[in-house]
Amino acid sequence: MTDTVNAATDTIHDADHDATAPPAGLELVITRVLDAPRALVYRAFTDPDHIARWIGPKGFTATRTEGSVTPGGAWRSCVRSDSGDTEYWSSGVYREVVELERLVYTFAWEEPVGTPGRETLITVTLADQDGKTMMTFRQSPFESVEDRDGHVEGWSQAFDDLAAHLAA
Amino acid sequence: MSVDQLSSTLAALADPTRRAMLVRLIRGDATVTELAEPFAMTMPAISKHLKVLERAGLVARSRTAQWRPCRLEAAPLGEVAAWLEAYRPFWEESFDRLEDHLQEIQKENKDD
Repeated sequence: MTDTVNAATDTIHDADHDATAPPAGLELVITRVLDAPRALVYRAFTDPDHIARWIGPKGFTATRTEGSVTPGGAWRSCVRSDSGDTEYWSSGVYREVVELERLVYTFAWEEPVGTPGRETLITVTLADQDGKTMMTFRQSPFESVEDRDGHVEGWSQAFDDLAAHLAA
Repeated sequence: MSVDQLSSTLAALADPTRRAMLVRLIRGDATVTELAEPFAMTMPAISKHLKVLERAGLVARSRTAQWRPCRLEAAPLGEVAAWLEAYRPFWEESFDRLEDHLQEIQKENKDD
C-alpha cells in the first residue's frame, strides 16, 4: 500500500500551488529539485557551517548552529532578525542518519529559550535526479513516521478524502 | 483543564491506534464494535482509546440511536493542519536561500 501513501503525497504537493485548496493534511510536505550533486546537498544539510548559511526565512541570519549528526545526537540553532531585535531558538535530536540519503530528527521551537515547545518530526530524503538532487521534506506532529504509514490506509490519504468530503 | 485544544488534540493523535480509529471514522460513522474490529484488543482497551478521542473533541457519539454510533468531529484536525501550515514560510524561504547557497559554493569551486 505504499503506492497509496505516495499518491497522497503527490496530491498534497499539487495542492501547494493552489491557494484555495483545503488544508494540505496533517503533514507538511515540501519537495524541491536542487541544482547540485547529492553529496553537496547532504553536506549543506549536515555541516553546521553550511546550515548557518541558509537556515531561516528572508530577513533572518543564523547566529548559531551546532549539532552532532548521529542517531541520538542533539542539535540546536538560533536565527536572528536582521534588525536585531528578535531571536528564535530551535532544537531537537537526530533519530536516523543514513549518509547521503535520509535524515530524521525532531524539531521544536524553544518557547521560552531553553524550553522546547511542541515537538515535530522532520524527515529529509535525498535522491539523484538527472544530475540534480530531489529533496523531499516532511514535517509531522507524530513521533513515528512508520506508525503513520504502517496502517492499511495512509493517514494523509484519509485526511485528503476528509477534506474533499467536507468541501462537497 | 488548563491544557489548550491543540495540545489535547495532538496528545489524542499521538497514538497509532487512535489515528487508525479516526481514519475509519473519516469513511463514515461506526459502532464501537465496528471500530474495534481491525484491532487485536479487548473492548475495555478500545473504549479507553475512544474516551480519549471523545475528550479531545475528535469523536462524538449519538445520544439518540440505540447503538450509539461514533462520528468524527473534524474541526480540531483543521487546527492541527493550520499549525503545521504555519511552518511552511519558514522552510520555503530557507530552501530558497539553500538554492542560492548551493549555486554560490558551486561557482566558488569552479573559480578555484
